[in-house]
Amino acid sequence: MRKSKSLSALIFFAIGLFLLGLSNFVDELRAYQGAQVGIYVIAISSIILLTGFSGQISLGHGALMAIGGYSAVLSYNHWHFPMLLAFTFGAAVAALAGFILGMAAARLSGPYLAGTTLALAVGLPSLANQFHILGGEQGLSFDIGEAPKWIADKTGGDFTQYKWFFWISVTCTLFTMWFIKNLLQSRFGRTWRAVRGNPSAAALSGINIGRSKVLAFTVSSALAGLAGALLAMILGLVAPMAFTLTLSFTLVTGAVLAGVSNLGGSIIGALVLVVIPEITDAVATHLGGSEKISANLPGLITSVLLILTVIFAPNGPQLHKRNKSGKAKTQ
Amino acid sequence: MLVHRSTKRGVFAVAVAAVAALAVSALPAQAFSPHSEVGVTSTTIKLGITVPLTGAAAPGYNKVPYAMKAYFDYVNDNGGVNGRKIQLVIKDDAYSPILAKSVTNDLILKDKVFALVGTLGTANNEATSKFVNDKGVPRLFVNTGFSGFANTKKYPTTYALFPSYYMEAKAIGGYLDDKFAGKKVALIYQDDDFGIDALAGFNQVGTKFVAKIPYASGSQTDPTVVGKWITSIVTSGADTVVLFGVSTATAAALGGAYKAGLAGKVQWILGSVGADPTTIKTLAPTALPLLNGAIAASFLPSANDSADEYVAQFQKINTQYNKGASFDNNVLVGMNAGMLAVQALRAAGTSPTRAKLMAAIDASGSKFASAGFAPLGWSKSSHIGYNGYWFGRIAADATIAPVDGAGKYVLYTTDSSTGAVVKSAIARPAMPAKGLPTN
Repeated sequence: MRKSKSLSALIFFAIGLFLLGLSNFVDELRAYQGAQVGIYVIAISSIILLTGFSGQISLGHGALMAIGGYSAVLSYNHWHFPMLLAFTFGAAVAALAGFILGMAAARLSGPYLAGTTLALAVGLPSLANQFHILGGEQGLSFDIGEAPKWIADKTGGDFTQYKWFFWISVTCTLFTMWFIKNLLQSRFGRTWRAVRGNPSAAALSGINIGRSKVLAFTVSSALAGLAGALLAMILGLVAPMAFTLTLSFTLVTGAVLAGVSNLGGSIIGALVLVVIPEITDAVATHLGGSEKISANLPGLITSVLLILTVIFAPNGPQLHKRNKSGKAKTQ
Repeated sequence: MLVHRSTKRGVFAVAVAAVAALAVSALPAQAFSPHSEVGVTSTTIKLGITVPLTGAAAPGYNKVPYAMKAYFDYVNDNGGVNGRKIQLVIKDDAYSPILAKSVTNDLILKDKVFALVGTLGTANNEATSKFVNDKGVPRLFVNTGFSGFANTKKYPTTYALFPSYYMEAKAIGGYLDDKFAGKKVALIYQDDDFGIDALAGFNQVGTKFVAKIPYASGSQTDPTVVGKWITSIVTSGADTVVLFGVSTATAAALGGAYKAGLAGKVQWILGSVGADPTTIKTLAPTALPLLNGAIAASFLPSANDSADEYVAQFQKINTQYNKGASFDNNVLVGMNAGMLAVQALRAAGTSPTRAKLMAAIDASGSKFASAGFAPLGWSKSSHIGYNGYWFGRIAADATIAPVDGAGKYVLYTTDSSTGAVVKSAIARPAMPAKGLPTN
């Protein structure tokens, strides 16, 4: 087990180096999209962890991202936290919110839980208008600046801000994926799967179901908070408009496309979300079609993909049968 | 162990797929351009705009880019700008800063536009500001009244067109001093930055209110909230009410006041944001009886005033080049911004660069012809566009005519700091023949 852990760490490290190296060969647009993919991977993973592994539903992850984003920006702008600490702070505050929400969530299930989290996603962003410190409708600006000089010098040439975003996003994403992967293989991961699979059996085996659910909600919220902070970074601001209901639904869509119980699939989900508008734009341009087509096509394609996924590969394109993970539990 | 291994293999496979996808998509989409400036060839100039074409904010706003495009097509058919045809790349941002940012990246990096024009929404423009600044892309005539965009230090390439809410409040304050001295005035305002900007403006000119009634954005749809407004108005004894809110708030307030029997007892004065009669009419027919006779602040002529030479010309262009669109304020805003953009491009000379374009607006922008009744304030030190308002009375047929009678426009102009409100007659440049700039 120890050997496989260090091997997986090595693999993640290698992928990271490769991606960072790759950033020297892509233009700014792709670097930005790469950063976006990273953020979606983290956000979708947080939903997969919650829904796929602990069996809870959240339609309000956009709100948790908002909490993370606003906390990171406030700590960075007002208390002058260093960037990394600001991101951690964003994740921590979102975790705290998730902990409180999780206490309520542990008592609810199915549509009731979905409704509660949905209400959060609807209501929370409008808080920004109630407190002056949150900057109202136009939000708060967030400029992390350029890459440190020593990094820019080392890699040589033109180190744009988008490339710096890509570096930060990729690093955070890989770290997060490594963390979740290990967490899911730990006692906590096994507990969550047991609770999701059969709560009664899990309780009989001595698992505290409530505590397990709250913990899953807390960890998931921390990840959503981190994604929110990173989103604020690439946008250069936090504003209520950035964390709408649409974002929450987009994330759930991404998670379903990924296969809700398949962590690796989050990369597919994130790629689909970022790449589809790009493809439809190219198609519409080649067809000489209007922007009305390219504006509406992504929604259509995503919906079709969603339906196809649910019909043909309900557990995601990678894992077709959930009972595989069922076997894992019995090990 | 079976699952353990397969999960790892899965993660690895997906990672490889991700890298491959990124690498494939990394092939540059370079376009060869014989001209030295981005977005300008010997025969074309490429401009870009981001607006909500889908989503809740789309109705209405989605007419702006097509109206602008129709105007550009009209100019192109009449020789273009110094021989170059204007291409307008329209991108949907669904009113989300996340999308606004990615489509603006596309416009600047992939479509390689020369300049942005008429980009819509405060947060959306804010999200793209840093990148737009870094790339030195001129961003002309942003479609938002947020006063911040006139800050030339923070947004050196951005040009505001609408007066700020702060300036609007000052102008309304000046108008109240002029025409409503001694009256008991109440204020209903939205308690976010939109309303706070306005409060600061009223304070600056020393407007006194017998009641200040704030409301949270969105709460205007709640009848109990509207009931409280009406109670406050009645108990304060106000005979004049200034409403500085969105159209839905205007509709709710007028509807509520009518039910409470305030018809004929209170004079309503509406801020420009919530004063579009066509919108209010659709939102709440119950508001109609009180809408008739309300006073509204505007800087553009009424969209249904066919006697206005600009409006008449734009209506003609709309019929010919924008088939199917009904002519309203959104179309007027789009075409007006298009006409200003054409003059800016002409002023930038026969071999335009981004720097020349901005220098040209700084130097001669204040003299550009436009439908607006208020003068344009662009100069080297200020990027504020229109700087004043005229006040009109809304008639039963939802048209607006100047309070002093048809054709008698009186302007209340001011600045964005402590300057006084100045009353003047309108001095709008005459429209260039057939609406085709010759500057």
